[in-house]
Amino acid sequence: MSEGVHASPDAPHRGLNISNPRDFYGGLALVLLGLFALWASRDLPGMHGFAFGPGTAPRMFAIILIALGAAVMAVGYFTEGTAVERYEISAPALINLSYIFAASARTTAIWVVAAVLLLAGIALAVIGLMGPKRNLVRGPLFITLSILVFAVTIRPLGLVLSSYLSIVAAAAATPEVRWLETFIWGAVLTGFCVLLFPIALNLPFQLWPTNLSWQTLLSFH
Amino acid sequence: MSDLFHNLILGFGVALTGWNIALCLIGAMVGTLVGVLPGVGPLATIAMLLPITFGLPPVGALIMLAGIYYGAQYGGSTTSILVNIPGEASSVVTTLDGHQMARKGRAGPALAIAALGSFFAGCVSTVLVAALGAPLTSVALQFGPAEYFSLMVLGLVFAVVLARGSVLKAIAMIIMGLLMSMVGSDIETGQSRMAFDVPELSDGIGFVVVAMGVFGFAEIMRNLEQESSRSVVHAKLTGLMPTWPDLKAASGAIIRGTTLGSILGILPGGGAVIAAFAAYTFEKKVSKDPSRFGQGAIEGVAAPESANNAAAQTSFIPLLTLGIPPNAVMALMVGAMTIHGIVPGPQVMTKQPELFWGMIASMWLGNLMLVIINLPMVGVWVRLLRVPYRMLFPAIIIFCAIGVYSINNSAFDAVMTALYGVVGYWLVKHDFEPAPMLLGFVLGPLMEENLRRAMLIARGDPSTFVTRPISGGLIALAVLLLVLAVLPMIRGKRDEVFVE
Repeated sequence: MSEGVHASPDAPHRGLNISNPRDFYGGLALVLLGLFALWASRDLPGMHGFAFGPGTAPRMFAIILIALGAAVMAVGYFTEGTAVERYEISAPALINLSYIFAASARTTAIWVVAAVLLLAGIALAVIGLMGPKRNLVRGPLFITLSILVFAVTIRPLGLVLSSYLSIVAAAAATPEVRWLETFIWGAVLTGFCVLLFPIALNLPFQLWPTNLSWQTLLSFH
Repeated sequence: MSDLFHNLILGFGVALTGWNIALCLIGAMVGTLVGVLPGVGPLATIAMLLPITFGLPPVGALIMLAGIYYGAQYGGSTTSILVNIPGEASSVVTTLDGHQMARKGRAGPALAIAALGSFFAGCVSTVLVAALGAPLTSVALQFGPAEYFSLMVLGLVFAVVLARGSVLKAIAMIIMGLLMSMVGSDIETGQSRMAFDVPELSDGIGFVVVAMGVFGFAEIMRNLEQESSRSVVHAKLTGLMPTWPDLKAASGAIIRGTTLGSILGILPGGGAVIAAFAAYTFEKKVSKDPSRFGQGAIEGVAAPESANNAAAQTSFIPLLTLGIPPNAVMALMVGAMTIHGIVPGPQVMTKQPELFWGMIASMWLGNLMLVIINLPMVGVWVRLLRVPYRMLFPAIIIFCAIGVYSINNSAFDAVMTALYGVVGYWLVKHDFEPAPMLLGFVLGPLMEENLRRAMLIARGDPSTFVTRPISGGLIALAVLLLVLAVLPMIRGKRDEVFVE
């Protein structure tokens, strides 16, 4: 769950002067992921006698991952390497995480975290889309948004509206998008989805909204 | 020998019902349909199409999956030949001569020979799988937890050695996959691990979620960065059938490719890639005029295509007999099987013979379907390749979204898939290969279970893995391979193979 957070975009141009940033920051992220796993499995019981407990294997693999991540970092620090191919994923990562927090929120504190993540994600997305790297931003961002739109609307709005909105959102992921074409093509695809999933494959989908209210729209379960 | 025929007849009895033939045909068709899309390899194709098999009974689902698998493989070859974009590493070599043939207006014969070569390879290796299945299963039944664990270590080491790029990073990816597989309930105590009381995570991270995210969505994000100009061969496809000299030139190559592929496919760790490269290099060596290669030599298409299909097929051997997926595609098949409540392994063959032999028969059937549907439908695939990407990818996205949602009716899973898409995209940007991660992810629970059992039996003494003869042998082999892979001399050769 945490990988997205640790990803540091355009890192090579900031801070330390690392000769092989691709490996260095890649390794760093793995170390952080390993530390996160250690923290997440902190209260699981470990070995008792010579039998493994539930926490033994996760901690073992987490420690190995930290070691390997550190080794990758070392390689990145001491060797020359190519620059990281550029990417911008902080906005979609934050927005995804925000949904995940919100979907499992039980306390107000987690709701607040989710809201902060969402706002930060939206702010980064808007800044990114206005900036010079907008074409790098839009691919991952709109694909993520498309799935998110689907996830949020499928229950309250039904398959037809949900897929249509999702397709339109996905289409925005490329700068080559042609809107009129997208609106028509989206309708065709939606029709195909309806024929394929609920009818041909007999999957239980609701096609149209039932009693639409804000409450259903915001309920995640 | 009579056993073999008896079993094959049993298998064909299962596979050759109208319903199962139809499933196989549909599978091969949609597999090709998706596999043909540029930049969508077999892994991504299978990951995307998995959900459509979930509503079927187990035998039907596996047969359809086999169809999808071969369809996806062949679809990749079609794209390699017509567009010069290999869907995955094992069809890289096909582009070398295949695309040159297409440019000379001989796309038809190239596609036909690829299909025929694959079919021949499929026939041979189906028999091989059937013949080796029984004896290997009896070996497998003698395996204890320590042996299983060591065998999986060996399989993972193979995957590392055969992955592109840094050995260190490939191992790190495997461990990351293993770690991800620990999320959910502990197998022995049922205690929730690293799930943060999120109900959707209590069963672990879905396997389709990881596969579809890392291979499907991440792939699309990558493709969107590139300019959409693709050089689909526009020359009209005339003369689909290869000529007599073509067939004569290709037949030797097909036989050699099949032999190499069948042997290399049994090895765990992604035999298909190595098989295709090895077969191509071998053809070049034995050819009277090696300079023709790269200029549109038909042997250069026939050999790797037969080899990669033979290897794809024989890689079912370790999966079906030992229950260990030798590569990422097979890992996907394991995931699919477990969803249907089948745990691949030696007990499948003894307890559910109709399933085991039905699947083997359906492999052959899948191959036959490929020849039947692909040769007449080449024109359709060509037209599909001309559909602009800006229209294709939203379709892929929505099918994936609906598919992943429908597994558990869980919107949470859909968003997790998107998150894994972002993770997969990041991994590729940092030059981490996602395939070993998926393999580790699938093997994780099995490895942990066997590790725990072995340690318990050995009273906590880790030397059990080395002192038990079979287990020790496997570990020694794994260590040897790893050392060889890191040696600079061999490393150079390995990189050379992947660069060519």
